[in-house]
Amino acid sequence: MESTLAELEKSSLEEIAKASTIEELEAIRVRVAGRKGGALAEISKGMGKLVPEERARIGKLLNQAKDSVERAIEAKKKLIDNEALAKRLDSEWLDLTLPASGVKPGSLHPLTQIRYELEDLFRSMGFAVLDGPEVEDEYHNFDALNIPSDHPARDMQDTFWLDGGFLLRTHTSPVQVRGMEHYPPPLRMIAPGRVFRNESVDASHEHTFYQLEGMMIDRDVSVGHLIYFMQTLLAAVFRREVKVRLRPGFFPFVEPGFELDIGCLICNGAGCAVCKHSGWVELLPCGLVNPNVLRMSRIDPDKWSGFAFGLGLTRLVMMRYAINDIRLLQSGDLRFLNQF
Amino acid sequence: MKFSYQWIRDFVPDLDTPAKELEQLITVRTAECDGIHPAGELLRGARAARVLSAEQVPGTHITKAVVDIGDGETVTVACGAPNCREGLRTVWVPLGRKTIQGIESNGMLASAAELEIGREHEGIIAWTSVAIALKPDQVIEIDNKSLTHRPDLWGHFGMAREVAAITKQQLRDPVDLAFLPTGSDSFDVHVGDGTLCPRFSALAFENVRVAPSPYWLQYRLTSVGMKPINNIVDVTNYVAAELAQPMHAFDRDKLHGDRLLVRTAHDGEKVLALDDHEYALSAADGVVCDAAGPVSIAGIMGGMESAVSDTTTRVVFESANWNASQIRKTSARLKLRTDASMRFEKAQDPVNTLRAIARAVELMKIVCPEARPAGGFTDISESLGELPVISLDLDFLNRKLGREIPRQDVVEILDRLEFRTEQAGDRVLRVTVPSWRATKDVAVPDDLVEEVGRMVGYDTITPAPPLVECAPPPDDPKRVWLRDLRALMTGRGYTEVYNYSFLSDPEAERFGLRPADAVRVLNPIASDQNILRSSLIPGIFANLQLNRKHFDSFRLFEIGREIHNQLPAMPKEVLHLAGAVYGADGLFELKRVAESIAPGVRVEPVSDALDYEHPARTADLFLGNVNIGRLFEAHPNMIEGRAAVLDLNLDRVLRERQPLARYAPIGRFPSGAFDLSIIVPLRLHSSQIENSIREFAGTLLERVEYVGQYAGPQVPEGTKSISYRVTVGAPDRTLSSADINAVRAGLIDKLQALGYELKV
Repeated sequence: MESTLAELEKSSLEEIAKASTIEELEAIRVRVAGRKGGALAEISKGMGKLVPEERARIGKLLNQAKDSVERAIEAKKKLIDNEALAKRLDSEWLDLTLPASGVKPGSLHPLTQIRYELEDLFRSMGFAVLDGPEVEDEYHNFDALNIPSDHPARDMQDTFWLDGGFLLRTHTSPVQVRGMEHYPPPLRMIAPGRVFRNESVDASHEHTFYQLEGMMIDRDVSVGHLIYFMQTLLAAVFRREVKVRLRPGFFPFVEPGFELDIGCLICNGAGCAVCKHSGWVELLPCGLVNPNVLRMSRIDPDKWSGFAFGLGLTRLVMMRYAINDIRLLQSGDLRFLNQF
Repeated sequence: MKFSYQWIRDFVPDLDTPAKELEQLITVRTAECDGIHPAGELLRGARAARVLSAEQVPGTHITKAVVDIGDGETVTVACGAPNCREGLRTVWVPLGRKTIQGIESNGMLASAAELEIGREHEGIIAWTSVAIALKPDQVIEIDNKSLTHRPDLWGHFGMAREVAAITKQQLRDPVDLAFLPTGSDSFDVHVGDGTLCPRFSALAFENVRVAPSPYWLQYRLTSVGMKPINNIVDVTNYVAAELAQPMHAFDRDKLHGDRLLVRTAHDGEKVLALDDHEYALSAADGVVCDAAGPVSIAGIMGGMESAVSDTTTRVVFESANWNASQIRKTSARLKLRTDASMRFEKAQDPVNTLRAIARAVELMKIVCPEARPAGGFTDISESLGELPVISLDLDFLNRKLGREIPRQDVVEILDRLEFRTEQAGDRVLRVTVPSWRATKDVAVPDDLVEEVGRMVGYDTITPAPPLVECAPPPDDPKRVWLRDLRALMTGRGYTEVYNYSFLSDPEAERFGLRPADAVRVLNPIASDQNILRSSLIPGIFANLQLNRKHFDSFRLFEIGREIHNQLPAMPKEVLHLAGAVYGADGLFELKRVAESIAPGVRVEPVSDALDYEHPARTADLFLGNVNIGRLFEAHPNMIEGRAAVLDLNLDRVLRERQPLARYAPIGRFPSGAFDLSIIVPLRLHSSQIENSIREFAGTLLERVEYVGQYAGPQVPEGTKSISYRVTVGAPDRTLSSADINAVRAGLIDKLQALGYELKV
C-alpha cells in the first residue's frame, strides 16, 4: 500500500509538471485527489483493514501525498496564470509617444499675462487694481489732469473724438482721477487698460494699445520713493536688476515730470541699434502728482502728495518677446497667439 | 526744434563740451534730444578759389576749369555749373579725384546749396573774400513735445541759458536795447483787443534795399531748417530762431493808410496769406489790419498783398505778443501751423517784443546798412504786471526730492537759471520768476522743485521705500472672476484674442447692429473704422475667417467691451465674452462653457435667427428671466465649415448668478430609478419633455437624466424616441417597488395625456 501511494504521488507530480493548461491540472486533481473516486480516496478505502498503528502511519502518508499533489497543482496553476498574464500584458504594448488626447489648452494673450504679473506684483505692494471706461469725457481725460482745452499738451495725444463730445481715452490716467474721486487718501492704485491714439498703424505704431497707470498718494511722497517703486517694478518685470535714470519730461499732470529710461537690456549700456547707441531706452513717463490735479480731485496738496506713472504694457510685451510687429498683438492670428 | 551748436556758442563763448556730450546733458537736465546732425559738412577743407581758365568740353555742359585754390596750389576740376568762367572767385571743396568726361577732376566747385550755406543751387557760389570763416556745424534736434511748457526754449538764446546753467559757464545776452531808436513813433499802431494782443511793438525802416542775406546768416537759417528768402525776411526769421520772438515784415508801400489796427476778425472775413492760400476767418480769430482790411492772420501768418518783395524800399517790422490759447484755436481751426504759431501757442514772454526789435535793428545794420529807422520804435502794451514771486520752503523741496540739498546749491542753481532769490526766514527763499518762465511754466513751489531737481541731477537721489501702512488692498470680485474665466477658457482649449474696438458701417449692417446703438468716431483713422463696436461678434468672425485658412479646427475667445450709444449720457460699456469653436462639434462644447460660467443657464432656441446665424441652430441664453447671451452656429454664407459661437454678457451673468446659499443634505436611503422612452415629434425640444417629467414626477423626484435619442426604422417617421432615466427617493425611507411603480405609472399617464407615445 505504501509503495502504491509513493508510486501514485510520483506519477502524479510528473503529470502535473507536464501539464500546460488549467483544464489538464483540474483533470489531474479530480483523478488523483478527488473526494469521490479519486485515486487517493480509493487507497484510503483499504485502510480499514490495517492495524491501528499502521492505519495512523499510512493515514499520515496519505495526507502528505494529497497535500503534495494539491500544492503542486496550485503552484503550476499560478505559473500558468502568470504566463498568461505576461502574454496578455505584452500584447497590450502601447506607443506612448503618440500625441496626447483631449483638447490642448489654449493660451492667454501675452498682454493679459504681463498684466496679471504686474497686478500681482503691485497688489503685493499694497496697490488696488482699478478699472475705468474706455470712452471718457474731456474732464477726466484732460481737464482734471491739468490739460485745459487750449493747452498745447493736447496736441501730444492725438485723440479720437466721438459723438456728444466724448472721446476714446488717450491714456489710463483718467482712472487716477476716478480713483481719487472714489477713494480718500492714502491711496495706492494701478489701472491697466486699453487706450487709443489717432495714429496710422505700421509695424511700430498702433492706434490701440495698452497701458498700466499707477498712483500713490500719501504723506511726503518723494522722487526717491518713486525711483524705489520703479526699480522694484522693473526688476520684477525683467527678472534682473535694471539700471534706471530719470530725466525731465513734460506732462501737465505731474510736477516735476520725468521720462524714465532703463539701461539698454540688449547691449547693457554699451550702445546698440535698439537704444540708438545711447545706452538707454525710454520706458515710461512718471512724476510727482501736480498739486492742481490733487486739488481738482478735492485732495489737499498741503497735506498729501503722490507719484504717478504710466507703463506701456504693449511695449513691455514687445520687449520681452522680441516682437517686431505691433500689429500681431491684435491680429487674432492663432499662429502667433498659440505660442504664448 | 533744431539748435545750431555754433549759434549756442555765440551766447556761451567758453562752451567746450562737445556736441555729442552736450546732447546727453540737455537730455538729462532739460529736454529730450532726438539726435545730432552735421551741417555744412562740405565746409571742412573748403578753400576760397579763383578760376584761372575755363574751357567748355564740346558737346557737353561740362567746363574744364583750372582753379587756383590758394597757397600756390592749382587743381583741375570738371564743373557742370553754367556760371563757371575765367576770373570767377568761388569755393573749392576737396572731394577726391575722379574722371569726368575724360577730365581728371580733383574736388569740386560748389554751389551755396551744396555747401548748405544758402539757397542758390543753379551755379557755383560767388565768393569774394579770401578766407572761409564758416565751419561745419552740428545741429542738435530736440523733441518738440518736450518743449511744450517752455516758451523760452523755442529760441537759441533760451537754450543757451540752459547750456550755460548746465555747464556752469557765462551766458552772453545778444540783445542790446541801446539799438532801439528813439523819437516819435515810426509807425502808428492801434490795439483794439488787449487780451488778444497784450503787446505790439513795431519799427519802420526807410531806404531799404532788398537783397540776399550774407552767407553766414543764410547758413544759420539753413542749418536749423529755415529757408533764406531775402535780407528783410531773414532778419525776422533769425530773430525768431534766436529769441523765440516771431516777427513779421510788411512792405510799407503796400499798406493802405498810416496805421496798423489789431482786432478780432469779422465772420467770413478773408485773408490771402503768404502761402498763397485764402483763409476765411471768424470772430474767434485775430487780425492785423490796415485801412483797407486784414493784412495778416495775427500771430500765425502774414498777408500776401503786403509781403516784402525785391522792389520793397520801406518796411514795417511787427514784433507782437499774442494770446496763446487764441493762437492755438485759430491755428487748429485753420489747420495752419507755422513757426510763429508754434511759438505763440506756448505763451511767449511779452518782454521779448522790444528785445526782438533791438536785435533786428542791429542785424539790419549788417544786412542792409543803407536802411534807416523811420523814427522811434512804437510800443503798445498792456501793463505787464509784476513778476510772480514764489515762497520756496527748503524742507518742502527736500521732502519732495527725497534728498537734502544745501541752501547755497539751491540759490546757485536758481541764479544760473536767472531766478532771483532772497532769504525770507530761516528755511524759506523768496524766488522771483523771470519773465520768460512766468507766462505759464513756473507758478508754484513744485515747479521750482523740478528746476532744482533736474539741475542737481535725479541720479543723485537715493531710492527709498516709503514708510507707510501696508494692508492688502481690497480686491474687486469681478476682476477675480474674470481671471477665473480666462483660466477656464484656456483650460478648455480656447486661445485668447484681442480685437479692435472699431467697426465699419457695412460691418455693423452685416451683423445687424442697430445704427442708433453705434457710437460714431468723428475723426476716424480710416473710413472702415468709423464706429465703435457694439458687439464682439464681427471681430470673432474675422478671427474665424483668418484662422480657418491655417487650421482645420481651433478654439478662441475674447473678453472685451461692447460700447453702446446712450446720448446725451456717456456711452455704456458692457463686458462680454465671445468664444468660438471651428471644425469640431462646437455648439454643445460651448453650451458646457456657458453652463460653467453661468450655472443654471437656460437655452431657448429662437426661430428668428439673424442673417449671420444658422437659422436652425441658434438659441438665446437665459439666467432666470434675464437674457445673458446667444449660442449659435455661423451661417454657412458667412463662414465655410462649421463654426459655433457663444456670446455672453458678463455684466449680466455676474449680476444674475446665484451663488449656492446652502447645501442639500445627502439622502440617507437608497434611491430607485427607472427609464422612460418617449416617442415625440422629431423637432420637439428635449427641454420641453424634461420639464414635463420634472413637473409630473412629484415630490419624490431626485433627478432626471437624458439617456439618448433615436430616430430611424424602429420609430414612426417624423418622430424620435428619447430616453430619460428618472431617479426617485425619499429622505425618510427606502422606496418600495410599489412606490417607484406608482411614480412611473403616474408619469406615463400624464405624458400620454400630452399626446406622447411611450414605449412601455
